[in-house]
Amino acid sequence: MQAARRGDAQAFRELYQAYRDPVWALVVSLVGDPLQAQDVLQNVFFKAFRGLGGFRFQSGLFTWIYRIAHNECLNHLRNRQVPYVPLEAIVGSGDEIDRARISDLEEARKAALRDAVMQLPFKMREVVVLKYVEDLSYMEMSRILGCPPGTVASRLNRALVELEMRLRPFKELL
Amino acid sequence: MAYLEGGVAPGKAKLIERHLGACRECEELLARLRSGHEAGRQFGRLASDPGHRPPEFEEVWAATDADLDRHGRPARAGGKLLQTLSTPLAVRALIVLVLTQAVLLVVFLRKIPPRAVAGAVRTEDAPLLRGYSPVRIAEFSSNSEFRVVTEGFVEDVYFDEHEKSLHIKLVEAPLRPEPFVICEVRDLGGLTIPSPGSRVRVYGAARYDAQPGRGWHEVNPVLAMAVLKR
Repeated sequence: MQAARRGDAQAFRELYQAYRDPVWALVVSLVGDPLQAQDVLQNVFFKAFRGLGGFRFQSGLFTWIYRIAHNECLNHLRNRQVPYVPLEAIVGSGDEIDRARISDLEEARKAALRDAVMQLPFKMREVVVLKYVEDLSYMEMSRILGCPPGTVASRLNRALVELEMRLRPFKELL
Repeated sequence: MAYLEGGVAPGKAKLIERHLGACRECEELLARLRSGHEAGRQFGRLASDPGHRPPEFEEVWAATDADLDRHGRPARAGGKLLQTLSTPLAVRALIVLVLTQAVLLVVFLRKIPPRAVAGAVRTEDAPLLRGYSPVRIAEFSSNSEFRVVTEGFVEDVYFDEHEKSLHIKLVEAPLRPEPFVICEVRDLGGLTIPSPGSRVRVYGAARYDAQPGRGWHEVNPVLAMAVLKR
């Protein structure tokens, strides 16, 4: 039993270390909150590990794990009843909060960018993340998303136009 | 997009430019796409910010191992994976990966701060949520930070009728009642209630409850929580 467990752990370690960083980048960018992203990442690798026995090599392992991550993020966002609430929204304004106020322009720029991407509809956000965070080609994206490359391209165009519109008020920051 | 990224043949690019010179609508659309493309690139760089770090293998495995015990282990999963990884290229890549990890581990161990010992807040995990200061449970009495992240073992979980909130008593070491901090959960949505004995990381506001019969340090409200070890 112990030997089997060690074997399992070793297999899981290899899988995790080979794909952790790109899957994490995808999950944290889609889910938004790093803490919730940790739970999603955990589920992705748990499902990938359990499903490895049935993996038929019809697609690359990379594409297969990305598809699991895509589905897990989607499930998580559908089931999330209460979104993560920033501290300010709960305790309101006050002297204590003044200390934590974002005064740095760089932080404001990052916040504007993150908010704009996070507010995109899921399908649009996903192509933006796959393109700019994961640096994937249209062909790779189409395999992961299960739609033709042309659909990926038009979805990305719509996402960029939407992003531009949402960031217009912050043009001076960017 | 191909035009924006310079992926169009020179002849075709000239045609597009000629059209853009005559079509205000397309010119405006291109300007918006260019602006969105630049924002996307900036977001891509932002997403690789080291402040967002994935959990370590041991952390994920601890929970996965328990889940596998509950749901059953994969059939020949290790064998399939090793078979996949046993091609010469994969083996070479794996060796490079292992060596890189070993070098990084040595570098990391040299830089690890003295406070990152058992029972202390693991400062390397702290940037997960920006702006939260790592504070050990024993340090709450001298803490002046408002937004804090702390770690400890759950000693007790109960509903406080007076406060109308869930209280989680965290201690620094199992079976040692002191020092402790009370973590007050006002909104259960999205939070997993930890069981006694588990190790958790809690984010929230540091306060002192000076009411009669209390007089304790607390994290109130708890804004986020991660179960590190069940």
